[in-house]
Amino acid sequence: MARYFLHINNGGGYSEDVEGQELPDLDAARAAAIEGVRSMLSEEARQGQLDLSGKIEIADGEGNILLVVPFCDAVELRRSE
Amino acid sequence: MIERHLLKLRARDIVSPEEERAIRDSIAEVRSLSADEIIVRAGRLTTFSVMLLDGLMCRYKDLSDGQRQITELHVPGDFADLHSFTLKRLDHSVMTLTPCRVALVPHEKLEQITERFPHLTRLYWFTTNIDAAIHREWEVSLGRRTALSRIAALFCEIKVRLEIVGLTDGLSYDFDLTQTDLAECVGLTPIHVNRTLKELRERGLVQFKSARVTIHDWNGLARVAEFDPAYLYLEKWHL
Repeated sequence: MARYFLHINNGGGYSEDVEGQELPDLDAARAAAIEGVRSMLSEEARQGQLDLSGKIEIADGEGNILLVVPFCDAVELRRSE
Repeated sequence: MIERHLLKLRARDIVSPEEERAIRDSIAEVRSLSADEIIVRAGRLTTFSVMLLDGLMCRYKDLSDGQRQITELHVPGDFADLHSFTLKRLDHSVMTLTPCRVALVPHEKLEQITERFPHLTRLYWFTTNIDAAIHREWEVSLGRRTALSRIAALFCEIKVRLEIVGLTDGLSYDFDLTQTDLAECVGLTPIHVNRTLKELRERGLVQFKSARVTIHDWNGLARVAEFDPAYLYLEKWHL
């Protein structure tokens, strides 16, 4: 287990994760990021707007960015022709 | 030791010296627990109820994929599972979220209270009804409120409940929960909670930092939450 910090950067600005989460590995941190983005987007969808331009920065305890997860990775968009 | 419990009861009704003695005499053991200890496991036979003296506890249920829903928070002075006296095997578990001190009250002692102290029995029935009211309020949050309003409602509720037992300092209080704990209360994810806390802070309503909640604008927070403390039944009645 390691502590990962999932910072949010989107239309609402930058939200630093000062607390972090204990997770088994970077894959689990990515899954947590995807789940978090879906949770935020579902709220936006309820209000009729979807901003996919944000990203989650996954950092370690030293502040090194290990992975960037764009919001658009969290959903698959389909629309009819 | 049971002062906070008495404050909670006396906010709603008179507790006589005899009743107070009966409550004190019902405690078999006081135990110190660390954070994240499960004290009641769903489905197991219970023989005592847990009165929380210090710390924060919760009732919760888990889904098979690891998702957890906290269904109620408990503050000092609460019986976390008075209902286990009649239900015996609970449909949910009870755990500590912070280091806690609890008093264990054997069900046989509660049975004696029901036989000898009818008024205190009615008062305890009333407190389990408050738990049911809190569950209903959380149901409304989880089903209908926005993320912002859910967290605002939780902060309002806990402020009122801690105030009753003397654990607030004006509009601020200790609240040693992680963002993951909060997410499990309000049915969101830690990331979404982080983003929502930022919005509450930027609107000048409330700050949650270093295990402490500081409310900057009580009326504004209550408005966002549509918080009406009526469900906490704060009026004094003689039951």
